[in-house]
Amino acid sequence: MLALVGTRKGLFCLWGDHDRRRWEIEGPLLDGWGIYHAMVDPRDDALFAAANHVVYGPTVQRSTDRGRTWRRSRKVGLPEASGLTVNATWHIEPGRPEEPDTLYLGADPGVLFRSDDGGDSWEPNRAILEHPTRERWLPGAGGMSCHSIQLDPLDPQRMYAAITAAGVFRSDDDGETWTPVNQDVSADFLGDPYPDVGQCPHKLLLHPAQPNRLWQQNHFGVFRSDDYGDSWTRLDGNGLPSGFGFPLMLDPTDPDTAYVIPETSPEYHYSPGARLAVYGTTDAGATWTPIADGLPAPAWAAVLREGSASDAESLYFGTQSGSFFALTDDDQWVEAVRHLPPILSVEVTSWSR
Amino acid sequence: MVPTMLAAQAEGRRTFDVDAETTGDALRALPVADLLFNERGELNRHLNVYVDGLDHRECGGLDGPLTGGHVIRVVAMVSGG
Repeated sequence: MLALVGTRKGLFCLWGDHDRRRWEIEGPLLDGWGIYHAMVDPRDDALFAAANHVVYGPTVQRSTDRGRTWRRSRKVGLPEASGLTVNATWHIEPGRPEEPDTLYLGADPGVLFRSDDGGDSWEPNRAILEHPTRERWLPGAGGMSCHSIQLDPLDPQRMYAAITAAGVFRSDDDGETWTPVNQDVSADFLGDPYPDVGQCPHKLLLHPAQPNRLWQQNHFGVFRSDDYGDSWTRLDGNGLPSGFGFPLMLDPTDPDTAYVIPETSPEYHYSPGARLAVYGTTDAGATWTPIADGLPAPAWAAVLREGSASDAESLYFGTQSGSFFALTDDDQWVEAVRHLPPILSVEVTSWSR
Repeated sequence: MVPTMLAAQAEGRRTFDVDAETTGDALRALPVADLLFNERGELNRHLNVYVDGLDHRECGGLDGPLTGGHVIRVVAMVSGG
């Protein structure tokens, strides 16, 4: 298997054996670029990276030869009339199987792009760009990223976008219009703690086998929706040391299972009680238990919103201190690599070397 | 001449011969022009451009005329960690 580990200084490929205990490292690819997200498009095995640089700006890069050579997308930009410019590319999501040349791109400042030519060029989604509530989106120090893009596998018209400091939005018409779906999700940093927009989702995932079910790691708790985002139930407590965190992982075979990596609080972004752990639930969030065997202790770790991944076999995450961990079948974490540059993103794929 | 990171985005080339009437036109003719300018056509912050060793801002900026035989050097002002 292959873990794509995006760091602040390039993309590292970690090749793992069948039991995820031994890993070989390759890289950095896209040397010097901050890899906010990298993924393999399962429809054609193309490798994509949202690569950003403080001098050279935001890009999308694509490789069709497993990372040996890369080609940049055409300039990712916004129309002049918007008064906005793209600050960073954040997340690339493959389109539906029946639209093999379509991909989606989430970017800062809270914008969504679509490509219908395999990622060569990107067009901004006008309804998100010109959303009537945009003036009430208030970016924090981390900017305003569109980081989660989820497509309903059973309804070709329905999709979701989650944007920091703006909230979760659902489209039921293939992106023509977007409805905020943030009911019951708090935004305690605002005067009205339950507004229609302005919440701060950190990661949103839809369960592929039960797409009415959404999970959300938010600035103010972990939430689940069973009605396409129309209402949300807060799930932290019951074993979670904190509701704050960024990563979110699901088990593609079990809609009741989810995993988070808590941090202390919105003010203190490191492991609660100096105890780094992944917390899992198998009862839809009613209870949570830590999975920590093999993780360093004490540890004041921080895992960013794209810094974790899951597949049918296991869980994976990387820290800002440059360690990458994989979970073995006997629930032991293996530190596959350490001393990488700060890890920004993790994805896994079944590629073998 | 461009920095090595830009060369990596241009099939390894660090130098380019271009015909251009202004400094801006010369930069816009490069295969990495999209990494030098934002979508408004503004030169990215933290990029220094030198024309024959002089800061391009002292030579008319991006509209500064080129009369042939100039060497333009792009320097990325990367600092911090």
